[in-house]
Amino acid sequence: MLLDRWFAESARRMARRTSRRSFLTRLGAILVGGSTLPLLPIERARAQDEPGARAPAPGEPDPDTPVGDPQSCEYWRYCAIDGFLSSCCGGTHTSCPPGTEMSAITWIGTCRNPVDGVDYIISYNDCCGKDICGRCFCQRNEGDRPIYYTHKSNDINWCMGQVGVIYNSTVAIVIGVATES
Amino acid sequence: MRLARGGLAHTAAVVMLAVLAGPAAPRADVPVETVGRVEALPQPPGDHWVWISDVMLRRSALLDVDRGAFLGMVSAGFLSPTLFSSQTGSELYLPETYYSRGSRGERTDVVTVYDAATIAPVGEIVIPPKRAVNVLPNGNAAVEDGGRYLAVLNMTPATSLSIVDLATRTFVTEVATPGCSLVYAAGPSRFLSLCADGSFLTVTVAEGGATRVERGPVFFDPQADPVTEKAVRYGDRWLFVSFGGVVHPLDVSGETPAPGETWSLLDEADRSASWRIGGRQHLAVHQSTGRLYSLVHQGGIDTHKDAGTDLWVYDLESRKRVQRIELLHPGFSFLHMSFEFSGGWAWLADWLLDVAIPNPGIESILVTQDDEPVLVTGTQIGGSLAVYDALSGEFLRRVSTGNMMVFSLQPFAPNVGAR
Repeated sequence: MLLDRWFAESARRMARRTSRRSFLTRLGAILVGGSTLPLLPIERARAQDEPGARAPAPGEPDPDTPVGDPQSCEYWRYCAIDGFLSSCCGGTHTSCPPGTEMSAITWIGTCRNPVDGVDYIISYNDCCGKDICGRCFCQRNEGDRPIYYTHKSNDINWCMGQVGVIYNSTVAIVIGVATES
Repeated sequence: MRLARGGLAHTAAVVMLAVLAGPAAPRADVPVETVGRVEALPQPPGDHWVWISDVMLRRSALLDVDRGAFLGMVSAGFLSPTLFSSQTGSELYLPETYYSRGSRGERTDVVTVYDAATIAPVGEIVIPPKRAVNVLPNGNAAVEDGGRYLAVLNMTPATSLSIVDLATRTFVTEVATPGCSLVYAAGPSRFLSLCADGSFLTVTVAEGGATRVERGPVFFDPQADPVTEKAVRYGDRWLFVSFGGVVHPLDVSGETPAPGETWSLLDEADRSASWRIGGRQHLAVHQSTGRLYSLVHQGGIDTHKDAGTDLWVYDLESRKRVQRIELLHPGFSFLHMSFEFSGGWAWLADWLLDVAIPNPGIESILVTQDDEPVLVTGTQIGGSLAVYDALSGEFLRRVSTGNMMVFSLQPFAPNVGAR
């Protein structure tokens, strides 16, 4: 029994190391704003829902076969994420797990793709309507602000306004190239 | 009704015993007991009773942290961790969100009313299904200082306050607070929200439910150094602390809330050593001694939610740091099982936690308001607490709560003697 507990803590320590903190940090949590690049308003996701709605980012053969590991918190698109990775939960980095619903409103981050050195605007939509996935918790508080600064707060559950506020996981969708403003 | 049921059960038990025992029953030393008894909380409530919320288990557990005794619990809705109380402490109020099918179906938001002696629900007030659902331990609802009205923050993401009359247990009205969110008590019948430009908004409720909304001045810079949502009350002053460790007092006793002189929790030496404030509940105040407790850690920018390794204590009158408390591992648990040993081996778990097992740091602190206050600390990766003497800083004990996590800590009756 002691060993069980010891191993449980070792696993937790490892989880902490890989995600910088524990796996439950911000349960309903979501998105951090891009730190410097354009202060976009809250984004509506519907236009991005259709398959093939965007061209692959440079360095990616197509949107669903990216360079890098979308199940890793270090994957370039997750620079401003806070939540469980949809790609570990039955979805992909651009699609939600089966039977969930993607949030219509969300926050936008700006991440640099190491393949081409270009800054991309990333939409961190939540997958909603089922309880938390629990796998691949990934949190970075870069650029996070308190919730009175709504569009830059990662403590907010962006499933609000959906079929339900129950939060499951998060995707990271390229919606454009960032340009200095 | 309870007596009658108990009596019936008693009779049935006696009859059954008689049947089972038959005519030649041996002498029994244990008297026949009553079926159906349910405890109430011991009275009066203890000074060191603490609610420990767990948003995974959707509950708050009530423990006496002196004895490590589990006293009872309340079940809660989705991300509904924060309790309030009447000023006398006779009732507790819990703003909650539910779906008719668990995680789907029709959404209902309610303020559930609990009898504080039995912690059984005795009523509920349905409010608009817009309650702000986030991972903050405070700022999502407040009882004003008169004790009559409860305001619940809504976020859809448009922000507003739902005003509830606790005396009549009715929803009164909804007040739009555009550009502002969070809610704090700010005098009798008045609430305060923080705005994205660094100013504040007050909402005053009049008899009959009419409300007056007024905008206050800018009192912090939300771009350069925003204040966290986790403000603490010291008398009539709210103490908002910025990411950079600057205290922004806001006195709510007057006609309009008045920002006070700012001061810093960190000096140059602290900053050059990368000390920062941080944590989910990173502040606490002991009212009668005027001591402010602040969780700190060493880290870079954007670490304002990182767990604290140390607790720095300040005298609020002199604004001087008077104590540093190094925080121990609060203990951990896995699927309700605590890391602890029984019998003569209890010391071994403490020893391992103190010297061998990496300390995850502390996210939540609470200080009780009595004359022999305790400091309670917890982390979200386990359901255990570390308890200290809040004046000397001496470590007293670890307490297992049965939670999977410590999401937040609250006193038993949060609105009694809180300021």
